[in-house]
Amino acid sequence: MLALKNVSKTYDRSKRAVNQISLDVEKGEIIGFIGPNGAGKTTTLKMITGIIQPTEGTISIDGVDIMKAPVDAKKNFSYVPDQPTIFDAISGIDYLNFMADMYDVSIRERKKRIEKFSKAFQIDDALTQKVNSYSHGMRQKLLITGAMLSNPKLFILDEPMVGLDPHSARVLKDLMREHCNKGGTVFFSSHGLEVVEDLCDRVAIIHKGKLIACDVVGNIKKSTDTTLENVFLEMTRDA
Amino acid sequence: MRKIITLTQVQVKDFLNKYIEHVNVKNRWLGLLSLFIPALFILPAYQLVNSIYEGFNQIGFPELTITYMYIGTVVLMFFACIPMIISVFFYAKDLQFLTTLPVKVEGIIFSKLATVYLYLFVLGCFFFGTSVIVYSTIGEWDLYSLIAGIIALLISPLLPMILTTLIIIPFMALVGKGRKRNLMVVVGNVIFLFVFLFLQLIIARAEMDIESFYHILLQEDGLLRQLGRNFPPSIWLTRMIQGSLLDGGLFVLLNLVFLYALKLVSQLLYTKALLAFNQQGGGEDIHRKGTVSFRKRRIGSQLITRHIQIILSNPIFLINTVLIMFLPILIFMIMLFTGEASREFFHSSELSPYILYIYIGIITAPAMIGNLSATSITREGKAFWETRILPISARENLKYRIYATLLITFIATVLLAIAGGIYLQVSLDIVIRAVIFSVVATLFLSTIDIVINIERPTLNWTSPTAAVKNNLNVIISLFIRVGLGGGGYYIYQLFPHLTANEWVTIATLFFLVLYGISHYIVFGIYTKKFDRIDV
Repeated sequence: MLALKNVSKTYDRSKRAVNQISLDVEKGEIIGFIGPNGAGKTTTLKMITGIIQPTEGTISIDGVDIMKAPVDAKKNFSYVPDQPTIFDAISGIDYLNFMADMYDVSIRERKKRIEKFSKAFQIDDALTQKVNSYSHGMRQKLLITGAMLSNPKLFILDEPMVGLDPHSARVLKDLMREHCNKGGTVFFSSHGLEVVEDLCDRVAIIHKGKLIACDVVGNIKKSTDTTLENVFLEMTRDA
Repeated sequence: MRKIITLTQVQVKDFLNKYIEHVNVKNRWLGLLSLFIPALFILPAYQLVNSIYEGFNQIGFPELTITYMYIGTVVLMFFACIPMIISVFFYAKDLQFLTTLPVKVEGIIFSKLATVYLYLFVLGCFFFGTSVIVYSTIGEWDLYSLIAGIIALLISPLLPMILTTLIIIPFMALVGKGRKRNLMVVVGNVIFLFVFLFLQLIIARAEMDIESFYHILLQEDGLLRQLGRNFPPSIWLTRMIQGSLLDGGLFVLLNLVFLYALKLVSQLLYTKALLAFNQQGGGEDIHRKGTVSFRKRRIGSQLITRHIQIILSNPIFLINTVLIMFLPILIFMIMLFTGEASREFFHSSELSPYILYIYIGIITAPAMIGNLSATSITREGKAFWETRILPISARENLKYRIYATLLITFIATVLLAIAGGIYLQVSLDIVIRAVIFSVVATLFLSTIDIVINIERPTLNWTSPTAAVKNNLNVIISLFIRVGLGGGGYYIYQLFPHLTANEWVTIATLFFLVLYGISHYIVFGIYTKKFDRIDV
């Protein structure tokens, strides 16, 4: 579903934020993407979504190269960033209709999905209000709802749990699992190692721009009497 | 005091660094050098001041150059000040952070004003500063005048800045109440500017009156008082530079009094206006209002609406757009009210051969002065990522930005075409020729301007003024217009035998070719560059 081949990103010709990353995400998988602050998680996600372009390497989504056919590639995924910075002078429902129009979602389908997700995230009563009156968490929930409207093949999220209340965090986790059970794929970054350990089929660890591990949690931990947190801290400890 | 100085240093550093970022040069020294780009404007300012000096020198009152330029600079400062003060006090993103700091409220207000002061000081250097140099160096070299002039220049931004602050902050709190506060802010400020312009023209009109002019000449200091609009600081300042210590003392004292007055009321301004305004709209109960509608619209319509909404939802963007687009209408209306212009004036034997050019000038003004495409990407700021992940091509993304500019510009053009056409009583032939020219010129300018924004996207701004006003993109786009105007005038002089109709036809075809070229540049070359903008 998602294939990264030798992807690198260099800023100002010398700062290498991401270094030769190769990664394959299979259909129906949930992959957690973890790493310390500044490791290159957000840069990688931005390259996958076409927000920035890689300096080297190729990225394809469902077999479509994001650089060569960006519009077709973008039809296959939706993205929720780490900061819910969106144009906020419109109402929640206007934002959702905007997203639905962009992905050509029928009126019947968008109605069904908006009602389902907005109720689950408890923002249905706020949809007619301006987004600039929403709290951080509500914006995050609106963005997730908007991203789910097109029922994307690949659902990409950057730190999705930040700002969510426990109820909404649970709803999102269920939604991610449900999406995968129905054949969708989820790729998300997180600092919440417990969430990653519980939810993900595989975990990818990035450190200083390099992918240092990508495997099922059990294989990364190697033994059952340790936690992913311990292993992660050990792997990303600077010598 | 130490905290206030630190806070001011941070604000000034932020202001200067943002400016350097706008210039978009990687080299640190080139970045610092870019701070002196505005100095280029000194040359035309010097020519203007020099010609005014010669005029006043001939009638024996060279000091009036200073009075004249001071008054002009103060008016300019008032204009520049209003959106900037609104922007840095009411729509800056750092206010929430500043309010949590353990500093006195006057510290916050004065540190915010430090950036406004810097901006106004640079503005003051152009005309008032140049007039001080010209007065002190041409003719007789006078060191005292030069030093007094530099002191006056340093002080000159204080009065307009503090007066505007004292008026605008309570005014904003007043108009900013209620749900339609953004609209109220824009309408209120346009009315405020209208009144200000109206008063200026009324006073200026009195100068034109021959009878009162002779009366003025008979009075001692009559010309100084008249030219100085009976505004005491302008008179004190002129005499200060001429050598009067008493007047100098009065001028400095007045500015100190205003500074102290601002300090005295800063607590009141902060709590009753600034905090009150920033609390409006927040803390609303989230409960269902109205009905949720599920409607389908075309992608193009959604994107054009989005770009227009970005302007409409931000009062600074809106004031800037309204002023750019409708300032010609505003000035035209005021000139009619004050009797500065009349139908007979435009149909006089001197002006009637140029009526086609005048009409074209009026209806093309929104495209000529406006440069909405040059800040189309910048206005989105940190929300720019949104359209980048959508399944639309870079070509579509750019196309609908240009369409949004065209739509706004054409609305202003149509309004001006109707109002100007009725008032000037131009023939249908003139209307058609002018409209065709205007459409083609607008297409070219709106398209080429986006190239500037792709080259210099500047998405990370803290105050909206930085996005649309204090943005080098705007100056670059104006340079294109100045170049076209200058080039056009030069060619016009080479072929004096051509009629107005022939000239307009040639110019229309010329702009059509330019539009074709700009279309190729934007959609053929710059789509790739647009995709490479780092977010």
